[in-house]
Amino acid sequence: MKRLIISTVIALLAISTVSFAKKDLTGLDIITKVYNRDDGNDQTGDLTMTLVNKFGDQRVRKIKQYIRDFGDVEKKIMFFLEPADVRNTSFMNWSYTEAGRDDDQWIYLPALKKVKRISSDSKSDYFMGSDFTYDDLGDRHPTEDTHKLLRTEKIGDEECYVVESIPKEADYMYSRTVTWVIKDKWIGLKKEFYDEDGDLLKILTINKYEKINNYWTILDTEMKNVQKDHKTLMRLANVKYDTNISDQQFTERMMKRGL
Amino acid sequence: MKTKLFFFLLSVIFIMASSATPQGLTFRGYGRTYLGLLTDDGSYSIQQNTLDLRLEHKRDKTALFVNPYIYQYPDREINLKLRQAYLDIYFNKFDIRLGKQQIIWGKADGVFITDIISPKDLSEFLLPDFEEIRIGVDALKLNYYLGDHTLELVWLPRFQPTIFAEPTSIWAPKMMDFPIEPTFDYSNFQIESKLSNSEIAAKYSALTSAIDFELMAGYLWDDNPTNHIRKQIDPVTRQINRLIVLPQYHRLTMGGGSFSTTLGAWVLRGEGAYYNGKFFNSTNPVYTDGTVQKDYVHYLLGLDYSLWDIRLSGQFIQEAILDYEPEIYQDEYNNMATFLASRDFLRETVNLQLFVYYGFNNEDALVRPKLTYDFADGFEILLGANIFTGHSEGWFGQYKKNDMVYAKIKYSF
Repeated sequence: MKRLIISTVIALLAISTVSFAKKDLTGLDIITKVYNRDDGNDQTGDLTMTLVNKFGDQRVRKIKQYIRDFGDVEKKIMFFLEPADVRNTSFMNWSYTEAGRDDDQWIYLPALKKVKRISSDSKSDYFMGSDFTYDDLGDRHPTEDTHKLLRTEKIGDEECYVVESIPKEADYMYSRTVTWVIKDKWIGLKKEFYDEDGDLLKILTINKYEKINNYWTILDTEMKNVQKDHKTLMRLANVKYDTNISDQQFTERMMKRGL
Repeated sequence: MKTKLFFFLLSVIFIMASSATPQGLTFRGYGRTYLGLLTDDGSYSIQQNTLDLRLEHKRDKTALFVNPYIYQYPDREINLKLRQAYLDIYFNKFDIRLGKQQIIWGKADGVFITDIISPKDLSEFLLPDFEEIRIGVDALKLNYYLGDHTLELVWLPRFQPTIFAEPTSIWAPKMMDFPIEPTFDYSNFQIESKLSNSEIAAKYSALTSAIDFELMAGYLWDDNPTNHIRKQIDPVTRQINRLIVLPQYHRLTMGGGSFSTTLGAWVLRGEGAYYNGKFFNSTNPVYTDGTVQKDYVHYLLGLDYSLWDIRLSGQFIQEAILDYEPEIYQDEYNNMATFLASRDFLRETVNLQLFVYYGFNNEDALVRPKLTYDFADGFEILLGANIFTGHSEGWFGQYKKNDMVYAKIKYSF
């Protein structure tokens, strides 16, 4: 699977089996290794997003998600559990490895009892009112940006590569991002997002990660919007890999049936 | 009886809320208060309190779902009903759903073209949420799955018609114009509950990367009655001296389809149906009961798009009577459009939406702006308006004295 879920979010990283001499690593090498990280054939997990505004008020969204890699397509289905008024809503995404091919997306709205196809074009939209856009949560291909290794730097006890990524697309929502990638572990520990004017917009921080079934898994993340002074905490729990999720899980039938 | 039901429901609530709740049972729902005000004279168009409960128990192969609801009004009898109550049985390749259920077909938004399995409750026109407009039908539904393809078979043992507003309601539909005051004869109005009067329908659908589509057919009943008219002529004056209206339901055969696909940032939707043998009212004296049977088509094309974070959606809908005769009461072509604009603000806690129905034939419209604020998770405050304009002969214009503003507060749990 190419993404670590939403969790992936974060950008992050994997242990590559290919060994690069550190002095030869380019920014593209580092981000590509992150992108190609082996994260199993399938994954399930419980996702909790806590939206915190500048007054400290919190809103909580809970989701159960299933992801499976089918080779040329990765399928993901999410079931919304909270808040109560969106319970039983489900969202399905099919993401293709083919370069330039748009994702297919559907949403099931229980009040309408219909599965509606939606456009995947609005990747700059914020997911469920959080500080994560759909693109932040998704699988941005390394070839979509120009990467430059800026320096190495230590965060806490971790030695990191600092990579700047500038989008090739002129109207992209970020003018650039800067990612701190842990050496050897290949985990992105921090990421800064700069708006179209070049000002710092958001900071992503990984607070907890661990190996589950031999896969590095990001468990606690914080995305802070420094311009609006609000943030989203994302926690992934009950993570299971390679449970052989049935392909029938990623169908209209399951979107309607729910959990 | 209603009081007993009410207390029964309260008992259910307390049992569900207690520690005796069976494992695996989920207990959800909402409470809502709704106040509407007619702008014309300041009178209240609606004062309604709602309790809507959803009880669900699931096992690996089976599930039970029950959705009772109460509407309480200060000026009307309390209304306690079941919206849905069904059993699900899951097999490897197919599912069976048995009981009272809402069955929704088609890709249209806010318009009913192939979506005619569940009849409509129009006692407040199209103003309630669509979940409340659709009436649950007693049905046996079988879905067979093959990958992303589905075959759905539906059997409705008992016919359930559209519910219209009471004649005294402000939402009572405008009647046909009669030369003299008619009398109504309801002797043929009821459809007897028996096997030969049941309804059957089938749908084949697929959800694929390139396109989603449905093909469907049904041997149904027209949910709306036809008014057959008998005239008595005074032999002396040769004038009509008595007019008898006999409302009657008729069989209706339907075949149709729908699709939805993406074109870059656009979503293109279409839906259409061919209806065989619908009765239309006609003034042609050849037809002694004032009706004629014709086929008609009903179709829609819609586009969805997002621009500057505003979700936009437009639909064009046409209903065309085939082999048309000018004496038919209804226009040969009935053209309508819908428009939706919706935008979220403040991290999706505020939503501003405008939905418009526009009828081309009578240049009438229903304009529905609304503002929704999620004060807290599961607590929603909604302010809105329903504005009716246009010719009073039109489907929307007939209610142009019913412009209203309203507020709803909803607590979901």
